[in-house]
Amino acid sequence: MTRSPLHGVVICLAVLSLGIGAMLLPANAGQSRASAGQEKPQSFEQLSRAAELARNQNHDDEAIGLYAQALKLRPEWLEGLWYQGTLLYQKENFGQAREVLRRFVALDPQASPGWVVLGMSEFQTREYSRSLDHLQRALSIGLGDRNDLARSAQYFEAVILTRFERYDDSMTVLGSLHRSGENPDLLIEPIGLAALRMPLLPSEIPADRRELVRMAGQGSLTIESEHPDETEKVFSEIVARYPDEPGAHFLYGVFLMDVRPEEGIRQMKRELEISPFHVGARLRIAEEYIKESKFEDALQLSEEAIKLEPNSAQAHMVLGETLMGKGDATRGITELEMARKQSPDSLRTHWDLLQAYSSAGRKEDAKREKEEIEKLNRPESPKEP
Amino acid sequence: MYILGMLVAPPLLALLLAAQASPPSSSPNQAFEQVARQADAARAADRLNEAEALYAKGVRLDPAWSEGWWSLGSLLYDQDRFAEAQDAFKRFVATTPSPGPGYAFLALCEFETRDFEGSLKHFQAWAKVGSPGNDALLDVAGYHWALLMTRKAEFEQALYLLAAKAKKLGDTPALTEAMGLASLRMANLPEDYPPQKREAVWLAGKAALYCARQDYPRSDMYAQRLATRYGGEANVHYLLGTLLGFQRRFPEAAEEYKKELQVSPENTAATVELALAQLENSKPEEALPLAERAVGREPKNARAHLAYGKALLATERVSEAAHELELSKELAPDSPAVRSVLANAYLRLGRVKEAKRESQAFLVLTRKEEVLAPTAKKLSSTGKLEPKQ
Repeated sequence: MTRSPLHGVVICLAVLSLGIGAMLLPANAGQSRASAGQEKPQSFEQLSRAAELARNQNHDDEAIGLYAQALKLRPEWLEGLWYQGTLLYQKENFGQAREVLRRFVALDPQASPGWVVLGMSEFQTREYSRSLDHLQRALSIGLGDRNDLARSAQYFEAVILTRFERYDDSMTVLGSLHRSGENPDLLIEPIGLAALRMPLLPSEIPADRRELVRMAGQGSLTIESEHPDETEKVFSEIVARYPDEPGAHFLYGVFLMDVRPEEGIRQMKRELEISPFHVGARLRIAEEYIKESKFEDALQLSEEAIKLEPNSAQAHMVLGETLMGKGDATRGITELEMARKQSPDSLRTHWDLLQAYSSAGRKEDAKREKEEIEKLNRPESPKEP
Repeated sequence: MYILGMLVAPPLLALLLAAQASPPSSSPNQAFEQVARQADAARAADRLNEAEALYAKGVRLDPAWSEGWWSLGSLLYDQDRFAEAQDAFKRFVATTPSPGPGYAFLALCEFETRDFEGSLKHFQAWAKVGSPGNDALLDVAGYHWALLMTRKAEFEQALYLLAAKAKKLGDTPALTEAMGLASLRMANLPEDYPPQKREAVWLAGKAALYCARQDYPRSDMYAQRLATRYGGEANVHYLLGTLLGFQRRFPEAAEEYKKELQVSPENTAATVELALAQLENSKPEEALPLAERAVGREPKNARAHLAYGKALLATERVSEAAHELELSKELAPDSPAVRSVLANAYLRLGRVKEAKRESQAFLVLTRKEEVLAPTAKKLSSTGKLEPKQ
């Protein structure tokens, strides 16, 4: 069983137990401790009281056993399922925790903390697809003011997204964690992996690559610190030390595009020599060409990108922007609509479409896009990747 | 959304439920009839917890109620409660004359509860009745079956199944990982191999996946990265040789197999493939000792006997070749490859009748392979084996 590097750091189960415990505990729970006797408990009431007492006295193994007995008598006892599941998780018995929590969420599908701990258990048993699904379910239901739990869910979501090669989605989540004040030390490796486009978990980084990954993570973390010199120093050191490493020139190129686009393009082209099928590098160059009104060059690159990844929303968006720039509104709108279909929450695509519809005189469509933009700009809306 | 959530495929159960002929209830008991009606109504109204409890009550009242077991199993399966679903599907299979897709669902549950022998047995039972089910089930079941084959070290069969999926579904993280494990001949499941192998598995998987999709430049790029990073590890050059063999680049393939044998001198599979590549390179004199060595090392290896038989045939030792090929046929009676070579050997020995028989067998087995390739030909792009976003 692989342990998360964050085990015991991000996962504040004590807090989390208190949170949901307060939600689930029956009104007379306070009496139970006092009335638990020495005799071997038999009834559900006796067992549940004894389980609670054992849990409160940190006799976890005993509590787990008592909860199991009580649940045999009352399998739909939510509080029992929750505490048994979280205790099993804390004892690192992830497989059993998962089984118990599956029953818990089946009975109470709106219990978002249940989905989080289930997702984290599945992460530990390396069922990453299910884990991602359940963590995202928890996040979409919402975790209220349980910020620690939400951050744990987002962390695991992000690292799985990277493993599934959804690097941009992962970066969005990691960026949000960083902005929310998460400890940067915890984010360095996940960000480094996503930035270098390496589909690995932090625990899967080969020893001889850890330094590279950490440098990429550190450099990326400094981007928002408004010290571009520091960022550039790290990125230029990466390409100097790892000149043939896939992803390194792309990373440096992304940074340079904002400050010295010409050099950025050079880095992207070097990346394409190392990684000839790199879609992101093509699109970044194409975006720069659009800015410079070099539409033919942008067209070639964005069409190549679509050929490589026909389902890439970003590729359709950039091609749409290119075509609009060229004055081909019909094809441009078609491509932008495809981008919208692939990624309905992309603000940039909706902006592009608003402009495209407006210039084509399609007022109703433009109005709809405007409404969509307003909707996405509301704080509770999903943010674009 | 599961990216490989394939592992589960819950929505397809509802479809299957609709498609499944519901056996009439066998209980005359009025209470049972009422419970069964209530259970169906609860399920139809999406009151799933209530439906689950009612189906459980129904099967307690009438343990022969196969429809109830099916419904209960499917509800539990949809909630990832595989141990309980497994029990229900077991009862369904036992209580219905034609379990059809029930075998596959039982096998999937057994996979999840790590009863791998049972899972394999029920996948086979499912294939025997024609692999019934919708496309989503075929996807999920075929993928898991391939994982089981990898776990049993039947790497070629696993890759055969996975390659068919890769052609249909494209680049997905799940397929990449599964193909990586099989390609590196690691008898592991995706959840139980050492984390430090992840990068090698990913690179190998990409190389194999794009080779299956005949996107050879992309396959070559990943293969090259794999060789650069992990060229000193077992089975890496073997994989590179195999990928080149697919492209019929046999001289380069032979070089890769030689490199593999430097890394792992005892690698019989690489020895066999090097012999076969050298036959393609018209170097039978180099192939012959290699194949002979492979047969000596693994007398029960059908492909080694095939390579040796072909090498003997190419060096005009026809009688010995026929003998080796007969041994290969005995070890792998369903393999069409050996039959055509054996037919050739018999022909050269003037044993026309036997040559004809083997030629016919070759045709029959080739067709059978197409039909039986368990689910591979039927895999579609629906279901949960979704390409990465």
